[in-house]
Amino acid sequence: MDTANTSRPTMAQGWNAKMGRRSTLCAFLELCLGEMEDIDAMFSDLLGEMDLLTQSLEQEAAPPAPLPNANQEVNLSIGFTDLNESLKELEDNDLDALMADLVADLNATEEKLAAEIEGLKAPSPEPPPKDLGTRPPSSISSMSSNVSTPTSSTSSPLPPPQCAKPSMEEIEAQVKADKIKMALEKLKEAKVKKLVVKVRMNDGSSKTLMVDERQSVREVLDNLFEKTHCDCNVDWSLCETNPELQLERTFEDHENLVEPLLAWTRDTENQILFQEREEKYEVFKNPQMFYLWKKDKKTIKDMKDKDKEILIKENFCGTSIIVPDLEGVLHLKEDGKKSWKQRLFQLRASGIYYVPKGKTKSSRDLVCFVQFDNINVYYGKDFRAKYKSPTDFCFVLKHPQIQKDSEYIKYMCCDDAWTMNLWVTGIRVAKYGASLYDNYKVAEKKVVMGSVWAKCSIPSSSSPSTQNTLSSQVANGHSATHQSISKDNALPVPPPPPPPPPPANLGVPCPPPPPPLLAAKKSSKRAPQQRHLPTNFPPPPPAIVNLPPPPLEDTSEAPPDFLPPPPPAPGAGQLPPPPPPIKTLPPPINTFLPPPPPPINTIPPCIKTLLPLPPPPINTLPPPSFKAMDLPPPPPDPGFLPPPPLTGGLPPPPPPPPATSANPLRVPLKPSGSLKKVPPRPPKRTTPSLHGGGGEGGGGDFMSELMLAMQKKKHP
Amino acid sequence: MAAWDLSITVEDLGDEVPPVSLSVTSDLHVGGVILKLVEKTQIQRDWSDHALWWHQKQKWLLRTSWTLDKYGIHADARLLFLPQHKPLRLGLPNGATLRLCACFSNPVFQTVMGICRLLNIRHPEELSLLRPVEEKKKKKDKGSAEEILDLTTVPLSSASRPSLYNGMPAHFMGSPEMEAIYKMLSVPQPLPAPEVITKQYRPASVVDKAHIHGRWLDSSRCLMQQGIQDNDRLWLRFKYFAFYDIEPKYDPVRLTQLYEQARWAILLEDIDCTEEEMMLFAALQYHISKVSQSEPQTTASSAAMDDLDLALQSLEVKMEGEGSSASEMLDNMSAPELSDYLKIFRPKRLTLKGYKQYWFKFQDTGISYFKSKEESFGEPIQQINLKGCEVAPEVTMAAQKFLIRLLIPAPEGMSEVYLRCENEEQYARWMAACRLASKGKSLADSSFQSEIRGIRSFLAMQNTGSGCHGNAKASDESINTQSLVSPRYHKKYKTKQLAPRILDAYQNVGQLSLVDAVARFLQIWQALPDFGHSYVVVRFKGSRKDEVLGIAPNRLIRIDLGVGDVVKTWRYNNMKQWNVNWDIKQVAIEFEGNINIAFSCVTADCKIVHEFIGGYIFMSTRGRDSSDQLNQELFHKLTGGNEAL
Repeated sequence: MDTANTSRPTMAQGWNAKMGRRSTLCAFLELCLGEMEDIDAMFSDLLGEMDLLTQSLEQEAAPPAPLPNANQEVNLSIGFTDLNESLKELEDNDLDALMADLVADLNATEEKLAAEIEGLKAPSPEPPPKDLGTRPPSSISSMSSNVSTPTSSTSSPLPPPQCAKPSMEEIEAQVKADKIKMALEKLKEAKVKKLVVKVRMNDGSSKTLMVDERQSVREVLDNLFEKTHCDCNVDWSLCETNPELQLERTFEDHENLVEPLLAWTRDTENQILFQEREEKYEVFKNPQMFYLWKKDKKTIKDMKDKDKEILIKENFCGTSIIVPDLEGVLHLKEDGKKSWKQRLFQLRASGIYYVPKGKTKSSRDLVCFVQFDNINVYYGKDFRAKYKSPTDFCFVLKHPQIQKDSEYIKYMCCDDAWTMNLWVTGIRVAKYGASLYDNYKVAEKKVVMGSVWAKCSIPSSSSPSTQNTLSSQVANGHSATHQSISKDNALPVPPPPPPPPPPANLGVPCPPPPPPLLAAKKSSKRAPQQRHLPTNFPPPPPAIVNLPPPPLEDTSEAPPDFLPPPPPAPGAGQLPPPPPPIKTLPPPINTFLPPPPPPINTIPPCIKTLLPLPPPPINTLPPPSFKAMDLPPPPPDPGFLPPPPLTGGLPPPPPPPPATSANPLRVPLKPSGSLKKVPPRPPKRTTPSLHGGGGEGGGGDFMSELMLAMQKKKHP
Repeated sequence: MAAWDLSITVEDLGDEVPPVSLSVTSDLHVGGVILKLVEKTQIQRDWSDHALWWHQKQKWLLRTSWTLDKYGIHADARLLFLPQHKPLRLGLPNGATLRLCACFSNPVFQTVMGICRLLNIRHPEELSLLRPVEEKKKKKDKGSAEEILDLTTVPLSSASRPSLYNGMPAHFMGSPEMEAIYKMLSVPQPLPAPEVITKQYRPASVVDKAHIHGRWLDSSRCLMQQGIQDNDRLWLRFKYFAFYDIEPKYDPVRLTQLYEQARWAILLEDIDCTEEEMMLFAALQYHISKVSQSEPQTTASSAAMDDLDLALQSLEVKMEGEGSSASEMLDNMSAPELSDYLKIFRPKRLTLKGYKQYWFKFQDTGISYFKSKEESFGEPIQQINLKGCEVAPEVTMAAQKFLIRLLIPAPEGMSEVYLRCENEEQYARWMAACRLASKGKSLADSSFQSEIRGIRSFLAMQNTGSGCHGNAKASDESINTQSLVSPRYHKKYKTKQLAPRILDAYQNVGQLSLVDAVARFLQIWQALPDFGHSYVVVRFKGSRKDEVLGIAPNRLIRIDLGVGDVVKTWRYNNMKQWNVNWDIKQVAIEFEGNINIAFSCVTADCKIVHEFIGGYIFMSTRGRDSSDQLNQELFHKLTGGNEAL
């Protein structure tokens, strides 16, 4: 409960904005489901409703924000049922995250539009929903094109300041080029699938993201980095779990996230986890463990860095990727049989082979066991109990589409954990080849960039308004650390922009680092959740489990911040369940009603992740005009996302002192070369970053300004 | 100083002519001797390439300023006056033989550099010369008829790199014959006849392979010193399997010859691979030979760029028109249609029903089927998405059986579906569509037509195998699949059994350009576990039996001769030093951690082993200094042994 109290003020203050966002979101989700066709009409509807909602909220703004919310719902319930329904399903966290994405998109696009000669005067502070509603569809879709690649914006620096005064021709040329790009994007956009995905964090909380078909896992990870302020190290991964088969696997960074998710069944209990996985890039950190596995332990342990580099160069930088030459006896269970048999297997670039009985190990006698074109490799969990495997160190080879037990799944069992890791990694090298190393290099760069940003971000806050987006992005990367830094140094330099409103500060000022969270982090993921959830979160949509409609499932999110909001429970009890607004959603309602919170929560922890929207709706193309909303969310959410829980996920807890210490740690990491990547910044702040004193949260500033503006607009 | 008589044989005058006798003093320098000699022969010609060869000492007297005294030459010395460059018959990796002028007086390393310059092969340090395996005497009659392409008229330029015109070195310009030679060098050869493969020498064991590696010439001595005569036959081969800086734009000959060497290594089982890999190599060979025969060597990439530009331009134009253009464009991009009556069978369903006929329609990456054509506008009986499925052919030409076996993934597992086609034509189209769909491509994909063609040509292969009607198929389709695999598979499979297997592998490579296909071939070759291993039979100190030493680009491998198991490996980067005791012919190597090994060489001179080790270490130093120059001195230092410069 400590956490709950401390975080409350922030929550309350941010509430107005949040409600506004909520409505947008709901509308948006409906669209996703393809159930609303007339978007414009819907939007204007929503706008009206939203104003009402926010106004009433304002009055109550004070302490336990969530509670009032419940009351309001009563008032508004007439004609507002859809929203209520959806609101309940969505947790604040989700809303924050999604909304932040949306607002970020809008910012980016607005800026772009302003620059364009088309004469659209984009009132930047305008509340997002209005923008969407009023803009001609074409402009919206064009926005989407700008925003669609979040990673690129982070990794490639925005155009340097020099280009501020381009000649007329240049501008024209630019405009033309942009138009072409836009048109191409539009064509593509028309077919893009999007999913609302729930990702479970290490601490048991979860985040909801919008992922479109073209986004790679890398991009999604970057997105999560920004949302969670984690340390961005290369081990962070997205993993897919399949509880039914007791499998899990780490997605490779170059994979598109949507595709494997589409293979999930409607009633799936599969989840996506965001966690650090050491084995993900172990092969690049300690290549000798894979390429010299036959050598004695000591040689492997004492390997010099120089020799490691040579190994990587030999095996990954030549014309051909060399696969570790694995060979050994493994236990195999296949063809749906129950028994395990031993075979001498060999890994080659072209597949896994075995030595048939009575034959030699010569290549030409080998029998092909699998090739890698159509299969993925998964870690198996607790197979000793499930399949009576000889050991618990199992991995599985199967077609990604197979989701249930089948004779087409090959179960492999190794003598020890290390052998298993050796094989799984070897198979990944064979299957993905050069992409694996490319992924690693990108991930490494991310770490370095992260530390650079930490330095540069502060100065950025003072940059002129045109560059706001940039600075906010930069700052966002590390707003937590950076803010704490600025706090320390705050005295000397007055922050140029108006001090960010409290919400922007995220939990920094308040003692946010809820001890429970930290503890939770270390303990098993589920345990903490159970603790909090029952108390805080009333009606986790247990229904979700059964129900296909994805959006509903969001409830599972991180509870801690919200602790206060018991509303849902009461709300559910008091309110006659709003008639199921959305046709597809009926089931949720039923589940909703009987919300015995505690039991539900404990049972379904794993269930929460329901990510994939029901496939069919997704497939239907969302009308282009509305795409802007879906755009892959760029960066700047930090302002909004402050809730302590998020930070809790990070290793460096938000409290000022620790944060500062964290910063120095990062700095050394960055190689000098890395600085180049952020070209625009350096000139201004050549002086050591810290002093910039960009004021509190240089990064957050823009966003918070925007939020203020939005609020003002609504309540003049 | 006393004058004495020195007799010198002038090779150009012929064997019958007695040696020329000169009166010299010991302080006369070699240049003076040559001058006197030329005057005495009274022949007016260009003698600039000639030099003196001291027969007893087996060495050239190339330092013209050295005196006879300094060289230690006395009256009993048998000297020959002969040209330093002589013709040589050079067997190339692709099997062709060239006659060209090579330097007989410089170390072989430089001779190879000269040859590579002539042939436009970069990084000559990776190649060397070796004595060919003796041809079997019985077929002597045919050997003499061997076609030899003559390049002796081409002067060896001293420029470090020949200037290129149209990607071809200047010295190949001018005559069609010369251009044909360059084409032979830079374009993969057509597939060899199966008999040619069977006739070639194939190493049957590791020991046989080791014997081949005993034939490498010594890089630090010249050809004359190694007993090579003019017009002798030598092989030019890649020796060090560490290929540096390959760039298709500059390396057409290098890449082609590398490909040819790799291809023959696989066909002759010089390197082992699995059956699956052999089929993939076969598919790539088939594809490469097809593309290289048809595709002129122009750069395909620029065409693609042009397309893009065009597309952008037209887009721009449309943009400036009305806004509806985008949808029109989408309409225009619709896929070709494919629908027909086919028969379907599901083997796993335990029904007794056999094949049932329905109206099938291909849509996007899936098929749907209906009761009949008339009902094809309603709801299909079933829709099957083929993305990610496995497609296998089952074709018997003789029985006119054309089956497409689909293994379709579903959450519950894979389900099997057979589609039966009526005839070749129908089969080719549906098979191509299924293959594309399994890779997530629709019929709109540009590769659809070429996929169909590929399937047809493989069907034709099965035809030729069974010797049935040869109805005017294009000649390039009558390829014998036995030209693509090693003789082992000639015995194991019939031609028509091979075709579907190769076709199966072909579906993954059929779209590659020539350069990409060659690159892929080389990649797969390099990924083979035994790639780059040169073998020598050795005896380790303290061991009583012969063992095999495998020399790889990054390590030494001790291999059990009997079983073939790897006993131990040592990496070069852990090596502290190595020494050769030339007297007892023993190589001793010290590795970090106080590991010492020593062995004597059985199938090769220890100089060869020494040179391999030093050579690989040299290869790994390339690229460290930015200069592009070949550091000959370092190479000789690392490989020269007691003859180091």
